[in-house]
Amino acid sequence: MAKGQKWETRPLDFWNKAKELRAGWQKSIESKEKVVGQGNTFDLSFDWQAAFPAVTVIEDNPVGSMMQNKNEPYARKARLASEVRGWGREICGYQGNCWGAQFLGYIDDGTAWPDRKFVIPMPCVCDQHAKRGQQARDFENMPQWMADRLIYFGEYDEEREKPMLEHKVYCNYRIINDMERIFGQQFDEEECAKLMAGSKEVREYSREISYLMARTIPSPLSVKDLYSVYTIGGLTKIDPDATVQFWRMVRDEVKWRAENQIAAVGNEQFRFIEAHPPSWHYMKYYRYLEQYGAICLGSEYSHGAGSNYEVRPDGSIGLRVDKTYPDDMEMTTREDIIRVGSGALARPAGGFKTNEYIYRDRIVQFAQFMQADGALLAIWRHGVGCTLTRKEQAMYLRDAGLNVIHYEGSQPGDRTDLDEKRLLDQLDTWMESQGLRKVTE
Amino acid sequence: MITAGIDVGIAYTKAVVLKDGKVAGKACGLSGGAKRPANVQAIYDKALAEAGVKAADVEKVFATGKGKFDVSFADDRLTEVVTATQAAKLTTPKVTTVIDAGADEIVVGVVEGEKINEFVLNQKCAAGLGLFLESMAERFDMTVEELGALDGPLSVTVNEGCVVFAELDALSLANRGTDLKEIGKALNEACAWRASMTINDIYKQNKDCVVIMGGLVKNGAFLKALERIAGVKFVVPEEPVYAGAIGAASLAAAS
Ligand code: SF4
Repeated sequence: MAKGQKWETRPLDFWNKAKELRAGWQKSIESKEKVVGQGNTFDLSFDWQAAFPAVTVIEDNPVGSMMQNKNEPYARKARLASEVRGWGREICGYQGNCWGAQFLGYIDDGTAWPDRKFVIPMPCVCDQHAKRGQQARDFENMPQWMADRLIYFGEYDEEREKPMLEHKVYCNYRIINDMERIFGQQFDEEECAKLMAGSKEVREYSREISYLMARTIPSPLSVKDLYSVYTIGGLTKIDPDATVQFWRMVRDEVKWRAENQIAAVGNEQFRFIEAHPPSWHYMKYYRYLEQYGAICLGSEYSHGAGSNYEVRPDGSIGLRVDKTYPDDMEMTTREDIIRVGSGALARPAGGFKTNEYIYRDRIVQFAQFMQADGALLAIWRHGVGCTLTRKEQAMYLRDAGLNVIHYEGSQPGDRTDLDEKRLLDQLDTWMESQGLRKVTE
Repeated sequence: MITAGIDVGIAYTKAVVLKDGKVAGKACGLSGGAKRPANVQAIYDKALAEAGVKAADVEKVFATGKGKFDVSFADDRLTEVVTATQAAKLTTPKVTTVIDAGADEIVVGVVEGEKINEFVLNQKCAAGLGLFLESMAERFDMTVEELGALDGPLSVTVNEGCVVFAELDALSLANRGTDLKEIGKALNEACAWRASMTINDIYKQNKDCVVIMGGLVKNGAFLKALERIAGVKFVVPEEPVYAGAIGAASLAAAS
């Protein structure tokens, strides 16, 4: 055992499988035989496009992030191209990179920008998510759909829910019908129902993984590990069966590790959370903090927008049980399927960016769920949605007794503003202020 | 027991030799750029000579400051907030907040017993206030102390968000014939406003006993303005410039 290590650690078996699946995804988005769409998965929480024979959706976020990660000079060039077309310098890095690539006509490896046939932007408190549709349509003539995500403040309200839920179902229904008409492809309802079942299974695994990370000391998995597989089946869409199998594999391994006290960080002594995505291009800071025995358990973003757990009326914390349609609800028509696929809540339980409560009050619950001692909250200039209410969150967390620091980062698709060395200095100060020293010293 | 503390700042290196808890020797000099390791050694040697001891007599050397890794012979290296807090506790056991305002960085820590409950570093765009005031003094042919003596009601103002803008404002005023002393007052005031923002970034403040140290303390007008703006009465330790080094040496003795 290394110096200072208290628990056994082991490499993760699912790591290589994840690598293989990601490579497959990269290949699939390079394929030209599909109707490629840009945007997000609208408000169906499963891989709906796989129910079409040949539709692929590529999200700007992972693509933009990879551009920054793999080819910094290219990403800068792309953002500049976006800027000269009038988009502000403060635009979200993911979007800036992708829009710039569209203007340049090629991506970071020099190959052509994949031609897109439709766009479905995500309605979001961050206008830059929503602007994805405007940019794509301004660039070339293509259909755009909005799948309205609904927001209201406060507790669940049955009266408000009803019409909102109908509206949501209608939006999803319309998108699928329109796509059939425009692209001449038949949507396969049976396949769709199968996808929904698979997606439900994956959701259950991911909840269990969150729970095991949060409630086990030492944590069997750090968010650094989770992020290496995080997008599989979601932002990086692969074969649905392979997705289910993969997440089962991850769950099994994490469960085994938790039962056998196999730690993600062998000298775990300080647990901290974040809020929303990290600087994808500089995840080194996780490992850096591990030298102090500090483990990052992630953010509400990395745990299904906080929808993986719930605080019950008696104060106990457990896996979230969704309000769903009865399991035996008949799904005979397309509308039935879409209704079940749209969920039983108009406002999603996790509600990433659709529920102000998540941003403020619930971060404290999240920190308590994670048994966290501290929080590392980035603040940045590019992209407004990701850092929304960050300072308020810090206030709530401080009141709850957590040790909180901010650092000046950069939107995860744009590294311009992140001073990496300064961040490490700041982390040293944070750890030492907590009486922790590097185990290597 | 003899220990030493070396605080290698961006602009100046301060070395202190502590003999049974008392400062026996101290020295300060420019950190220098590429020659920093050699300068550090020379400054340390001076402090040793003043204390009348040899390097071999020193049981432990702790380093702090941005250049702490240039002290190759250090037994340990600590971050500034830790050494500053230790230094503050030595002279002011009741300290609740410690501020280290140096050439490059301002760090504020809230102290509760043995713990540092919260700390804040200046934002990146508020870096280098100390260096800036020093360079403006030089530009206006004043000493740092002369610039620091300029306070009183303002007749002009300069930008308080960014020193690059502040410098441009100051030069424009000078070009239009404004009295340099008036511009000096405005510079001290603007830097105090910027520094106060770091203090305000603390969520759970405790201003009962605020100890301030570091090179910026030499500028009296800045300090006075900061007290007024932040609504605090500062406690300044006897050796504000050497405080970080004293804290490091004291922690070395306690280790
Ligand atoms: S800043 Fe965040 S919320 Fe806004 S578009 Fe970018 S990723 Fe989305």
